[in-house]
Amino acid sequence: MAYILIVDDDTDFAGAVSTLLKSRGYETAAETDADKAVDRIRERRPDAVILDVMFPENDTAGFDVARAIRRNFGGLPVVLLTAVNNTFPLGFSNKDRDGTWLPVAEFMEKPVDLNRLCEKIAKIVSN
Amino acid sequence: MYHMVVEPQHESPKVVGLVSLGPPYSSEESCLTTATAIVKRAAYDLPLAAPAPDEPPGEAADGPLLLHHAEWFCKLRWLVVAAMLALALVAAVAAPWLWHHGIQLEAVWPLGIAGVLALANAGYLVMLRATRNSPNLAAAAHRGLWLQILVDLAVLTVVVHFLGSVHSVAPLMYLFHIVLVCIFFSSAESLAVTGIAMAMYVSCVTAESFGAFPARSMWHPAPPAAQGLASAAPWVLAAHVGSVAFISVTIWFLASRLTGALRQRDAELAATNRRLMAATDERARHMLQTTHQLKAPFAAIHANTQVLLGGFCGKIPDEALQVIGKIAARCDMLSRQIKAMLQLANLRSSAQDPPPATAIELGDILRGCLAALEPLAAKRGIRFAENISPATINGVHDHVVMMIDNVLSNAVAYSFDGQQVSVSCRAGPSGGAIVSVEDSGIGIPAAKLPKIFDDYYRTAEAVKHNTASTGLGLAIVCQVARAGKVGVRVESAPQQGTLFTLDFPACWGEARGPT
Repeated sequence: MAYILIVDDDTDFAGAVSTLLKSRGYETAAETDADKAVDRIRERRPDAVILDVMFPENDTAGFDVARAIRRNFGGLPVVLLTAVNNTFPLGFSNKDRDGTWLPVAEFMEKPVDLNRLCEKIAKIVSN
Repeated sequence: MYHMVVEPQHESPKVVGLVSLGPPYSSEESCLTTATAIVKRAAYDLPLAAPAPDEPPGEAADGPLLLHHAEWFCKLRWLVVAAMLALALVAAVAAPWLWHHGIQLEAVWPLGIAGVLALANAGYLVMLRATRNSPNLAAAAHRGLWLQILVDLAVLTVVVHFLGSVHSVAPLMYLFHIVLVCIFFSSAESLAVTGIAMAMYVSCVTAESFGAFPARSMWHPAPPAAQGLASAAPWVLAAHVGSVAFISVTIWFLASRLTGALRQRDAELAATNRRLMAATDERARHMLQTTHQLKAPFAAIHANTQVLLGGFCGKIPDEALQVIGKIAARCDMLSRQIKAMLQLANLRSSAQDPPPATAIELGDILRGCLAALEPLAAKRGIRFAENISPATINGVHDHVVMMIDNVLSNAVAYSFDGQQVSVSCRAGPSGGAIVSVEDSGIGIPAAKLPKIFDDYYRTAEAVKHNTASTGLGLAIVCQVARAGKVGVRVESAPQQGTLFTLDFPACWGEARGPT
């Protein structure tokens, strides 16, 4: 059973994603604190991470976590989600503030179609 | 007198005890004696003045400017070198003719001056290259400018000597340097340079008058003054030098006042610009936060409605499912509305620098936008007929995506179910590219065509056909088109459909004449 870690401070959103993923046979866990995401992965390595960008007190915590995952866990796939839209240098697609591409497998803008999210997760996990 | 005290560390207010207020506590820390525990509370006084934007240090502001002045000064000096070479050439070729017309000119000294200036200028350029990497750019550039000015004044004094120090207009050439240093330096420094220039001139005249070296003149025959001023009365010499000094100091006074006022205005403008930039940054950050704060709850509601609609929380009556579906649709629409509003606001913000234009492949962008729209189109049985040829233009990727996405979204939104949307892309006849998007949908009445790019304008037919539009899509298209000078042509007929033709220039923002 594939294990998916959802890192998002919005527990309502994370809960909905978790419900849908569980219905498709995934095991899920949620982490609301970006600073603890890497430790959670270290405790048990997931097959994929669903990661939000903006967290309280840090607008780009998700970017930092994505980089930390790439640094520490190599090819662990990350699906980056954000509610910020493409009107800002920050948050446009999976580019960081300085325009560098982030090491993520997928980028989706909230609100996301959960079925599409599940399809992407299925594709990532099967690879 | 009794007060309830709440402990601030807790997320929700929690009563920790009943206390009796005693003597005033220190502002840093207060200890409240309670029946059960001692709670320490920290104090913080809100500063009422808003924090000022960070002022960049003088070095950051002055260094590049001084370096620019120094480079410009070097360029100007090459012109002087060229002028001296030309003078030498004229002297070599036309000396007899000049002599006949009362002018005596030798080729040797202009050639020498040109050589010295060229060598010095080459040296300055090497120094400037090193200065660019200097940790203290302003001081290094400042020293370099001083060196250039001192050497120039010495060379100019030699030129003044050869052209005639007291009976030609050559001493007025010092004024060029006095005006230039008023631009480069402070009033005190420019006055010092004026003094140095006058000292050099007085030394030259004095040396000539006392016969240290023979006075020269460009006139033939040389006027009596050129024979040496030793024979002239001292007051004549003093009056002459005094006049030159008076003119120089007057020019210094006027130039330094003018440049001082300009510098002050420049500093005020720079400060205003910094404040504006800080305000723009703050606004962008605020809008970012606002977007997140507004969109995140809708995303959560939207996600949970999908959970309900998917039946993951048990069976729900059909009537309830319809209501949940409406909630989901409204959430989605509000999110799109917020996004469109912010996109438009940012596109219109003149304070924000436009993103850089890069080489982009329009075919790739079109295919990406079509793929994103495919699920929505498929739900309504709408097919895409694609005829996309490679076409590379120079443009702002994100803006082109916004533009094409809005045009394509409209074509899908205003088509009838089961229809086809034709999309084509080809290279333009004179560079650039032409993208066309054609639907067979509800169309737009001719009288309403000029209004469709207005904010929130929607035709009655459009509102009836599609209630979920933001009304801002074509306003965004209009804004991007104006910024990138993209030609937009709309051809439409009610109930027959609409054709949008986007004529992209080869270079973003490049105006084109009629073709």
